[in-house]
Amino acid sequence: MSLLIEPIQSKKSLGDEGILFVRNDSIFDTMVKVPLLVASMIIVAALLPIQSSFSSPRDLDLIIYPDGSTHVSTEIDVDPFLTDYEVNLFGNTIDNLVVIGDSGFLLDVDVIDDTALIQTFGSSVITIEYDIHDLVSKQGRLWTFSLDSPSDFTLLLPKNSAIVGMTNLPLNMEIINEQNQLTLSSGSTEIDYFFSISTISNTTEEIVNEEDNSSNIIIVGIIGGIIVIALVSVIIIAKNKQKNVKTIDEVVTIPKNNILDLETIFKLKPDLREDDKELIKFIFDNNGEALESELRKNFLQPRTTMWRAVKRLEREGVIEIEKKDLQNLVKLRKSMEEEN
Amino acid sequence: MKKLALFAIIVLIFGTMSPTLVNHAYGQNDPSILLRIAVQADKQIVNQLDKKYENKIPNNINILYDKGHTAVKSLDQSLSINDIEKAKQDFLLAMNSFMQISRIMSQSSEKVVVVTVSENSTQNLQSKLDRLEKFVKTLESISKKHNKIEQNRDEFTKAYSLIENIRNQINSGENTFENINDLKNLVNSIKKEIRNSIAEKQSNAIKNFFEKFLAQIDQKLIEAKDLDRNQIKIDKANELIVEIRELLSKNQINDAKKVYSELKIVLKDIGISVKIT
Repeated sequence: MSLLIEPIQSKKSLGDEGILFVRNDSIFDTMVKVPLLVASMIIVAALLPIQSSFSSPRDLDLIIYPDGSTHVSTEIDVDPFLTDYEVNLFGNTIDNLVVIGDSGFLLDVDVIDDTALIQTFGSSVITIEYDIHDLVSKQGRLWTFSLDSPSDFTLLLPKNSAIVGMTNLPLNMEIINEQNQLTLSSGSTEIDYFFSISTISNTTEEIVNEEDNSSNIIIVGIIGGIIVIALVSVIIIAKNKQKNVKTIDEVVTIPKNNILDLETIFKLKPDLREDDKELIKFIFDNNGEALESELRKNFLQPRTTMWRAVKRLEREGVIEIEKKDLQNLVKLRKSMEEEN
Repeated sequence: MKKLALFAIIVLIFGTMSPTLVNHAYGQNDPSILLRIAVQADKQIVNQLDKKYENKIPNNINILYDKGHTAVKSLDQSLSINDIEKAKQDFLLAMNSFMQISRIMSQSSEKVVVVTVSENSTQNLQSKLDRLEKFVKTLESISKKHNKIEQNRDEFTKAYSLIENIRNQINSGENTFENINDLKNLVNSIKKEIRNSIAEKQSNAIKNFFEKFLAQIDQKLIEAKDLDRNQIKIDKANELIVEIRELLSKNQINDAKKVYSELKIVLKDIGISVKIT
């Protein structure tokens, strides 16, 4: 007599009197395999960013000087279990090379041609800064910047330079101190530029003026819409906050100068990092507000490092971020919730 | 349970893919920047053509300019109807045409030069000084981070004063050679000073790292012994570890690093990966 084993799913109801026989395989399917699958997915998801993050620049900022030399500033995640790390520089005419470990130590580095061997000894993030003379060439009055970048990067062009050709789509463009700053994607990029007499800010103003009235109306409409949405959101958030106010231990509002003093901020947020405290001090001394670019300049931090710090402080409720002339204006909040 | 698992899988897949999605979205945040760059390039090209050829623009350049200018107009239209893909194509076409024009115009005049530091024009001197100033600021931030700024205060004051002097000299057309050399020497001495002042702290950090690292290598060597790996090499590795520990206890960090380089080779021969996780 052959024994037919039917899958549990296909079995008909046995009724109240029937005895339920359950296949062990099915239990295994539902109870073990699925959690196993989920667990393996979690591991894969967790490992992927780690694998891709080691040895790849998390930040790459370039500044071109008027003579065509370029300052490179890059932050790289390295394996903290390694004693040294080899990095390819963008050329071999290097000046003013500094490598800083994540504890702020100056790391030893040997440069051979365009390769730097850095003694990391446990650092998980290293910052490399150097000047290089290989990235820009000049033909007649035309300057050409060429780079094959391993990651997305920002490029600050010199004052009064005007782009007249490029091979890549920019991800973003900002104007910082009358200089064009482009954000570009990884891969090979070539940018041609001239030095013009008229400043960039004038040029952009002209461009803005050139746009026809209809597009202005659309822009005004969009901005109006955004403001209305923002106002509605603010009202909703304010209402929600009013509801939550009972659960919060203390809300401090100090009318003097409209911003909280440093002592109160640090008292309310005792767990702030030391470098974040420095940022807050700087903003406080600057009448309670500062552009993100000013913070970067003052603390000599790469763009994304500063962005993360600002976001961290925003999450902590210490500051708020506003847009001003395409830049982030960081303001100390006038009131703050105490940490529980 | 199955539904929950399915939901978790979807969340995980999305979570894994989301950084890529965000990256693409970033470029499309403000497509109007493409128009701004293209219009700026168009104007510059017209200026350059006017200066160089006045009304006698060569035919090949004229064709290229028409192509570029038409692409800029098309880019404007594409953006107004929110056709981002077409806008990207238009942008690249316009910038490529303008790039060709500017290169044709420049070809006739001079050879390509990779910019070198030897040129001594005002622009180059100013850039050189800007780079040195940035270097000083980087060192100053390191010094601040280790609370050594008071110790190095005089050197930094001197450096900034030299920078100001050199800037004045550049503006008045004076020879800056001597002062720039002084500044370079000063910057190097500041760097050394900072290195020395934080040497103890840094040595302790390296020692801590080595302690953890060597403990793990010890463990790996015991495992290698159990696996019957080359005993002579294992003994050699153990000797080197002892030597490193001795050097570290005497604060001879650089010598310890050198011995560590030898140890790495021996470990490789045994089949132990240096990267211990």
